[in-house]
Amino acid sequence: MMTYIVFILSVIFVIGFVGFSSKPSPIYGGLVLIVSGGVGCGIIMNFGGSFLGLMVFLIYLGGMLVVFGYTTAMATEQYPEVWVSNATVMGVFLLGLLMEVMLVLYVLKSEEVGVVFKFSSVGDWAIYDIGNSGVFSEEIMGVAALYSYGAWVVVVTGWSLLVGVLVILEVTRGD
Amino acid sequence: MNPLILTIILMTVFLGTMIVMASSHWLMIWIGFEMNLLAIIPILMKKYNPRAMEASTKYFLTQATASMLLMMAIIINLMHSGQWTITKVFNPTASIIMTLALAMKLGLTPFHFWVPEVTQGISLTSGLILLTWQKLAPMSILYQISPSINLNILLTMAVLSILVGGWGGLNQTQLRKIMAYSSIAHMGWMTAILVYNPTLTMLNMLIYIMMTLTMFMLFIHSSSTTTLSLSHTWNKAPLITTLILITLLSMGGLPPLSGFMPKWMIIQELTKNSSIILPTLMAIMALLNLYFYTRLTYSTSLTMFPSTNNMKMKWQFETKQITLLPPLIIASSLLLPLTPMLSILD
Repeated sequence: MMTYIVFILSVIFVIGFVGFSSKPSPIYGGLVLIVSGGVGCGIIMNFGGSFLGLMVFLIYLGGMLVVFGYTTAMATEQYPEVWVSNATVMGVFLLGLLMEVMLVLYVLKSEEVGVVFKFSSVGDWAIYDIGNSGVFSEEIMGVAALYSYGAWVVVVTGWSLLVGVLVILEVTRGD
Repeated sequence: MNPLILTIILMTVFLGTMIVMASSHWLMIWIGFEMNLLAIIPILMKKYNPRAMEASTKYFLTQATASMLLMMAIIINLMHSGQWTITKVFNPTASIIMTLALAMKLGLTPFHFWVPEVTQGISLTSGLILLTWQKLAPMSILYQISPSINLNILLTMAVLSILVGGWGGLNQTQLRKIMAYSSIAHMGWMTAILVYNPTLTMLNMLIYIMMTLTMFMLFIHSSSTTTLSLSHTWNKAPLITTLILITLLSMGGLPPLSGFMPKWMIIQELTKNSSIILPTLMAIMALLNLYFYTRLTYSTSLTMFPSTNNMKMKWQFETKQITLLPPLIIASSLLLPLTPMLSILD
């Protein structure tokens, strides 16, 4: 099972996405996002990105999703929609689950799957090595390089964040 | 809007397009598109009525979907070539998805449905920015990946766009929807020649932007958003009616006005590449566009359109100041004799 851990984690990832794409109330969407975020962190860590996995937990789940949870709790209605309360939501969820199950069976059975890009069965998801250099981890070096060679990217992303906040305030200002 | 915020947001719209046009790394291009999209939303929502909000939401949804498709194409390209530079798209799948994503951003058929609805829901100045500035970034990317674009898909979308732009505009009386359908048709002309001679795409883009700027400035000056309202401009500023006549005929592609130049060059390039039926079809379908332009000139400059008697004096707010109108008029009508200068390009 450990050789196919990435495959299993990505299946859980997709099922989580199906769970909130079928549009229950945002509270339940946030709940599923926690699961998907945690599983996504597991996928990244299996590729050797321990720092980025930690980022997912800390910043995404511990920062952004907490703020999302608070604002949704302020704006929620009296009887929020669950997956089983509305026939449409349950129908879409079951349909998504069915399609994922069919895809998994197809991947497990046939030698290679070519949907948009080819990957050969489950073997492609098994990780044998984590990068070509044996001296340092490229992923942390990449983050460090962002702040040295990639200073322009930091400027651009910082400016985008500032403008994002300004745009949101401007849009919700009303009259 | 607070002037400081407006300045920052307009600067970001400008910066987003500049980043897209000047980057050689696919990720920066995607960042530029997203920055552009984010910053133009409050410009579209200047008016705070439900129509404008719905238009901004539609614009945001379609452009965000297109950006997602672009990101997927970038990642597929990365998977197959291992590098992020923009010079050549190595995988046909990535190239097709990228072409479709950029067509969604431009408003080519079959992704044209948002253009009339978004343009109609926003103010004239916002519509101006939407139909001119926002086309620069996707077109520059199409220009840069033009050697690896699948010809069949692009030409199908181009021809269908010219068709839809012509036919869709026939039943419209709202000026903003007419300009939106005109934009769809012109995008079709521009992308038809992209694979054969991308310089003509840029030429067409330049002349289209000048003509659309002129038209929108004239509409803003007469504060009119419907054909009926435009037909009253003879009352307030008779010179505007003449300018509307000239600019609309130029948009329709009639010689001796400058709108003829891109169409002529495009048809010439297409026939040089041994496709005869295609430019014939395109020229015939441009007649549909010309029909609703001349109908606008008929109601505006050639006749005193029927209206109730107390509407004969045009009532409007104080005349808005328009920038740069004389140079724009000259540029959008008198540039045809400069055609031999095109030989200096490329």
